[in-house]
Amino acid sequence: MSEPPISRGFRSRRQEQTPKNRLPPGQYVTTDFPVLSAGPTPQITVENWTFTLQLGGAILGTWKWAEFETLPQTTIKTDIHCVTKWSKLDTAWQGVTFDDLLKAVGLSEPPAPYIMAHCDGGYTTNVPPADLVGGQGMIATRYEGLPILPMHGGPARLLVPHLYFWKSAKWVRRLRFMEKDERGFWESLGYHNYGDPWKEQRYDGD
Amino acid sequence: MTETENGSDLVLDGNAAAGLLQEIFVSDITSARIQCGACGSIAAVGSLRLYAAQMGAVLRCVHCDGVVMRAVHTSHDRWLEMTGARSLRFGRL
Amino acid sequence: MTAIDSTASPARRLEWQQAEVREIVTETFRVKSLLLRVASWPGHFPGQHVDIRLTAEDGYQAQRSYSIASPPEDELLAVTVERVENGEVSPYLVGELRIGDRFELRGPIGGYFVWTVPTGGPLCLIAGGSGMAPLMAMLRHRDRQKAHIPGSVLYSSRSLEDVIYRNELDGMAQCDSNLRVIYTLTRKQPEEWLGPRRRIDKALLAEVCYPPDKNPKIFVCGPTSLVEEVARMLVELGHEPQTIKTERFGPTGA
Repeated sequence: MSEPPISRGFRSRRQEQTPKNRLPPGQYVTTDFPVLSAGPTPQITVENWTFTLQLGGAILGTWKWAEFETLPQTTIKTDIHCVTKWSKLDTAWQGVTFDDLLKAVGLSEPPAPYIMAHCDGGYTTNVPPADLVGGQGMIATRYEGLPILPMHGGPARLLVPHLYFWKSAKWVRRLRFMEKDERGFWESLGYHNYGDPWKEQRYDGD
Repeated sequence: MTETENGSDLVLDGNAAAGLLQEIFVSDITSARIQCGACGSIAAVGSLRLYAAQMGAVLRCVHCDGVVMRAVHTSHDRWLEMTGARSLRFGRL
Repeated sequence: MTAIDSTASPARRLEWQQAEVREIVTETFRVKSLLLRVASWPGHFPGQHVDIRLTAEDGYQAQRSYSIASPPEDELLAVTVERVENGEVSPYLVGELRIGDRFELRGPIGGYFVWTVPTGGPLCLIAGGSGMAPLMAMLRHRDRQKAHIPGSVLYSSRSLEDVIYRNELDGMAQCDSNLRVIYTLTRKQPEEWLGPRRRIDKALLAEVCYPPDKNPKIFVCGPTSLVEEVARMLVELGHEPQTIKTERFGPTGA
């Protein structure tokens, strides 16, 4: 296959602006917050919202919104990286860490090696709990101090910023522990099962 | 890309997925009529609602929002999933 | 291309080929049309689009889709590009590109949003902003074929300066009593403007579009919010959904 012809004078304007060591390979920094969704924005009211931890047929814990808000809150500032190549630096999130969720249901460690996140609208993504513990993951309810907008995943989304942002599932409602790994929405359609931006694991086989 | 008020302008339609689908099907399928597996309604592929165009194509039924077809062009190959469709009908009506 | 069977889709693998810029037409302060020579162009139907791919010296690539604005009868292929604020591709195509430059292109793509003279009319074309491009291919095809199929066009723009192809549209309407063109200007209007000054609503659609019993072929193209609203209102006016073909333009076309 021959090389594609160079378009005279065309440059990626996006890759010019950044401190290089903060950006995983192939990414560019944006000051926008692009919206990408696999479906229409679910209209969720917090009165009807619940969040559940599940293992097999057993419910390990379930919270209504008011209860969830009384769990220990953690605030983090982090960079996020989307597989479509945009990255956003120093984003501020607040929510309940995965560690605090485990504590709340009386567990000192994850009861199974895999998790599937289930969301309003039907989206799913699989993440190993090993990538959520130690402060690596949270159920976020605030972005930049304000409730997360519906189009950005509000009222609550999973946040796992060290992986590509499709893993930070919007409108999350349930984390289901699994004994065997299963692939979620994008992972079952050609995207990488793990998704480490620093290894540029965008697609299956990368 | 800029933020929009409610993101609705970010939804496209099957016409915008035509190139990706033609990579998979070799011929253009946007005129083909597809039957939604969830609600049974029939529509031209080109008229389905297209989400996540930046990652591939998630084509949803205009009536029930069910996922009818999904496609991705990765750096290695092309994927297609159509469990949400009952049938695809090509040719003259 | 003479006889066109618009229901036939030849099975043909989409291949990238080279396009050379032969002419650049300034349509508005934000919009230009690029007239291209494409070596092995197989012909196209009005309404179809192409993918354009640019490659930087470091190998970085960007790809976008643009509607073909020229009819199949014309020798050069025209794409109309609107420069999007902070866009990546459109500022290059509208700002940097020169005659003689080349880039990769593949197409034609899309068989759903297509109209040809054999399909017949009456024809009802509704556009918002740069959504006029594929509809212009249809109108130019109608014109080249000297087909006097009754047609009405409703074109929504922010201001008169934003109306693309205005002189050509006015010219077509003046020479053809079977063609009616209505512009509605939604944000800014000249003082002496006698036309509509609002977003497309049911009243405008009822006025411009042929009634359902005339069985018009309806094409709507523009931003998603406009397209969905117009389609909904047309159905409320009694048009069958299958007679309304839509194409949504989105910000991924930046």
